[in-house]
Amino acid sequence: MNERLELDDLRHHEQFIALESEVKELTRRSLEQAALLEALSGKVSGAGQEDKLSLIVFSGSLDRLIAAFVLATGAAAMGMQVSMFFTFWATAALRKDAKVKKTLLERMFGWMLPKGVKELPLSQMNMAGGGPLMIRHIMKKKGVSSVEEMIDLCAEFSVELNVCTMSMDLLGMKPEELIDYPNLSFCGVAKFLETAAPGKLTLFL
Amino acid sequence: MTEVDARGKSCPLPIVLTAKALRSASAGELVTVRADDRAFPEDIQAWCRKTSHELVSLESKAGFFEALVKKP
Repeated sequence: MNERLELDDLRHHEQFIALESEVKELTRRSLEQAALLEALSGKVSGAGQEDKLSLIVFSGSLDRLIAAFVLATGAAAMGMQVSMFFTFWATAALRKDAKVKKTLLERMFGWMLPKGVKELPLSQMNMAGGGPLMIRHIMKKKGVSSVEEMIDLCAEFSVELNVCTMSMDLLGMKPEELIDYPNLSFCGVAKFLETAAPGKLTLFL
Repeated sequence: MTEVDARGKSCPLPIVLTAKALRSASAGELVTVRADDRAFPEDIQAWCRKTSHELVSLESKAGFFEALVKKP
């Protein structure tokens, strides 16, 4: 009878030792995973997490500019930080009426390009200028803000407007002929990439 | 109580005007927003969720929608 009890004891003791070492192993592994998680979360935070919309506006069509500004003002109203980058044909949309010193070639480009939002064509149904007039008329009737009004709203909501200097050089545009916008910045691709990389939403129009 | 009348205005103006009104509102203040834009019901709910404002009520009235938004 005694022997029987001793055998049981021994078995329980062995089981206990096995369990103990298993618990130790599990604890070790869970501490390892916690450390790994912490290391990873340091790398993940900031990657595409900023509540920011970055927009590249490339097109110089009125329809695309309307879309760009609806997105920008909408995002700003939703509390997002918004940064717009005007490049290529879109830089013409930011022109105002101004007498600027230019070379002959630059002046030629100046004549051929739209002088601001009022002269932008539609990408379809332009109908030699009839299209934009129609669209503007309907927008007014339906209470849709004009692009000019949306630009004012952007200023109110501190939307950043950046202009690609390379495009300006190619199209012969000077800073003095661009609209007055608070903190209008002149930049290159690096500024765009740095601004857009940590943001949640980046679009090309 | 601040009232925003965005009737006759289309997207994005209703929520832009809402954002402006709530910006200058004081904590806990109620702002009424009226709009007849068909997108308004969805947009105002999305706006409140995104900006953490309480949508106290959203009603359909004669020809327009009326939302009551509370600043946290």
